[in-house]
Amino acid sequence: MSQHIGAPCKPTVAKRQEVKAGDVIGDSDAFVSAKIHSPVDGVVKDIANRSHPVLGRELAVIIDVSEDNTAKLPKPESFESFNLQDYSQEQILEAITTAGIVGMGGAGFPTNVKVAPNEKMPKHTMIVNACECEPYITCDYRVMLEWTKQFIAGVKLIQKASGCKTVHIGIENNKPKAIAAIKEVLSSTSDSESIDVVTLKTKYPQGGERQLINAVMGKVVPTGVIPPMIGLLVCNVATAAATAEAVVLGQALTHRALTVSGKGIKNPGNFYCPIGTSVSDLIDHCGGLTDDAVKVVLGGPMMGFSIADMETPTTKTSGSILVLTKKEIGKANYLARQTNCIKCGRCVGVCPENLIPCDIASSVRARDLDRANRFNMSACMECGCCSYVCPANIEITGLIKTGKILNARNNRK
Amino acid sequence: MSKDKLFVSPGPHISKPISTRMVMLDVIIALLPALLAAAYFFRLRAVIVVATCVISCVVTEWLICKIRKQPSSIGDLSAVLTAIILAFSVPPMLPVAFLIIGSVFSIAIGKMVFGGLGNNPFNPAMLGRAFLTACFGMAMTTWTVPANINPELPQIGPKGATVAEKYQGQGLEGITEATPLAWTKNAIKAKTLAQAETIIKENFNNSQLKAVLIGYTGGCLGETSSLALILGGIYMLLRRTITWVIPVSVLASAFIFAEIFHFFKPEVYVNPLFQMFSGGLLICAFFIATDPVTNPMTTKAQALFGIGVGVLIMLIRTVGAYPEGVMYAVLVMNAFTPLLDRLCKKTPIGGVPNAA
Repeated sequence: MSQHIGAPCKPTVAKRQEVKAGDVIGDSDAFVSAKIHSPVDGVVKDIANRSHPVLGRELAVIIDVSEDNTAKLPKPESFESFNLQDYSQEQILEAITTAGIVGMGGAGFPTNVKVAPNEKMPKHTMIVNACECEPYITCDYRVMLEWTKQFIAGVKLIQKASGCKTVHIGIENNKPKAIAAIKEVLSSTSDSESIDVVTLKTKYPQGGERQLINAVMGKVVPTGVIPPMIGLLVCNVATAAATAEAVVLGQALTHRALTVSGKGIKNPGNFYCPIGTSVSDLIDHCGGLTDDAVKVVLGGPMMGFSIADMETPTTKTSGSILVLTKKEIGKANYLARQTNCIKCGRCVGVCPENLIPCDIASSVRARDLDRANRFNMSACMECGCCSYVCPANIEITGLIKTGKILNARNNRK
Repeated sequence: MSKDKLFVSPGPHISKPISTRMVMLDVIIALLPALLAAAYFFRLRAVIVVATCVISCVVTEWLICKIRKQPSSIGDLSAVLTAIILAFSVPPMLPVAFLIIGSVFSIAIGKMVFGGLGNNPFNPAMLGRAFLTACFGMAMTTWTVPANINPELPQIGPKGATVAEKYQGQGLEGITEATPLAWTKNAIKAKTLAQAETIIKENFNNSQLKAVLIGYTGGCLGETSSLALILGGIYMLLRRTITWVIPVSVLASAFIFAEIFHFFKPEVYVNPLFQMFSGGLLICAFFIATDPVTNPMTTKAQALFGIGVGVLIMLIRTVGAYPEGVMYAVLVMNAFTPLLDRLCKKTPIGGVPNAA
């Protein structure tokens, strides 16, 4: 029931109730929230706490899939003759709200709230985050390549709904096929004059919101400011594709493309699967684990969360499941010894936010939060670059995350 | 599914294959050319000096870890590195007992009392050398020129007084000889301009540069061969073990400083290129000042640190009491490191967050 930032949904169904695919099963009165729909036909088996990829344990609706459930398939062909003029701004917004679309890149901010025109903060430019900068993940790339028309339709719909004048599609230069496909669709369809493709350098974390805006527009987003406050709208590839589905086909967000990868999985691949599928089902579908698999991660290898419960369901924001082997994780292993910080400054050199990560980490380790805050701990976006390069194998990112949690706890008191 | 083998931990879940040991090993590899050069010029003596330092440094660190009941930290190879740098910065003929004292001091007082690698404010090797200089001043300033050098090679020093001509075929291991920098110093200290000019002219003929570049001059064990040191420096830069900031700032500031003096009084102050390649400037720029523990972390602070080291070295060389100033320059700037780091605090992209 928590698949987005904001108020969690309350179940709208009861135990043993029959549900059809697309039925609303969770909703909330709060402004910043998004509906949740059943992806399958079936019977509500239980409403109870289940493992959540990020939040520990959360309330969930468990549905027994009925035998006559037909698998939903993507319909990219329905967007062949897409015409933007068929849909009004209100219609699009309404469809996004009904479909319960959230930012599918990871944060899960409800799209209807983000897109809706706001008089206080008029939006002028939209940036499509097509970077997919984390290693391993390729689901956005496949979406752009295979459902190009659907993706572009979604981009145009969101542009119209938000009233943005220009659109930049920021894409890394390691995806030349996707760039070519998008450019072709843009040149062959109407209403594409205001959309351009910006090719960016391939680097991590290029897809971070602030990094992307900087790379595409050369504009620095002040710390603590979110893009809408300066008239920008950033949206992700999967979100655009889901919006197109919602508006044109009237379908709720119940399925998404997802990468299952890593050396620890026998048959890696990209799948279009119901949201809420358990990790173990997906892993079994891909042939199971290899013998040397040591870690299962929901999300990317840099910012994702490793999970302890294989029955953890995927959510609207789960873009990937990675099964990593001992060799792949290298020294990112709790068993590997951490040595003293040698103050080499490698973390300082790689920090995309220009911080001094090792000083923040040492402050948190000493429980000196004031010092950590003096080193601007809250400006950290937890990309993981510092831990990645650390020769002493210090879990810098982990320590900073801990520090932020301690900070939040202190502020609550 | 084999669930029992899986584990969880905070991200990132992949990492760069790099460790402190690999960083240290890279620096040691980079020092190999200089080690070979030392072995060529000083033969067995070089091997004795380096081996003594390495063994005593490693044993000291191991013992201290044992005494503190902590897991042994000798695996990170930093003790080996400290030992090699210490060995490279002492006169080749230093008695073995002195070497052991210096090594023990470097590791015990220079590093371990602060809590081991990463916590020491001063470069341990330079601290050990400073201790030796304070205790055994005479031995620490008695330089030898390799005796086995080819007499055909151009020499530094007055004609007829140089090694090869004087002692050819006497089977000596080495001959005590003033270092190139000592000659430089003599010129600066000379009472009259004419005297200075004579010293410079007598001692520094056109082949001086070649001598200091290849390394058949008097000096510390590992410092004499500039070519070998440059080779090692380039290796580290290519491997990205060090960044260019400190070597460039040290060398550039020292060069500019020397050039200014040379420009105004060429009869007293030698060619800056000669300054570059003699003494410990190169080993300092590539291996000593770049010690990550004792230099600042931000690029700006590192540049200031490097400039400080370069200028201090040349200040000591030209107006100080010693012919060479690497050791003191590095130690003084080490003391400034926390201050420089504080001075060059980085502003986060987008400004300081106002949230507490």
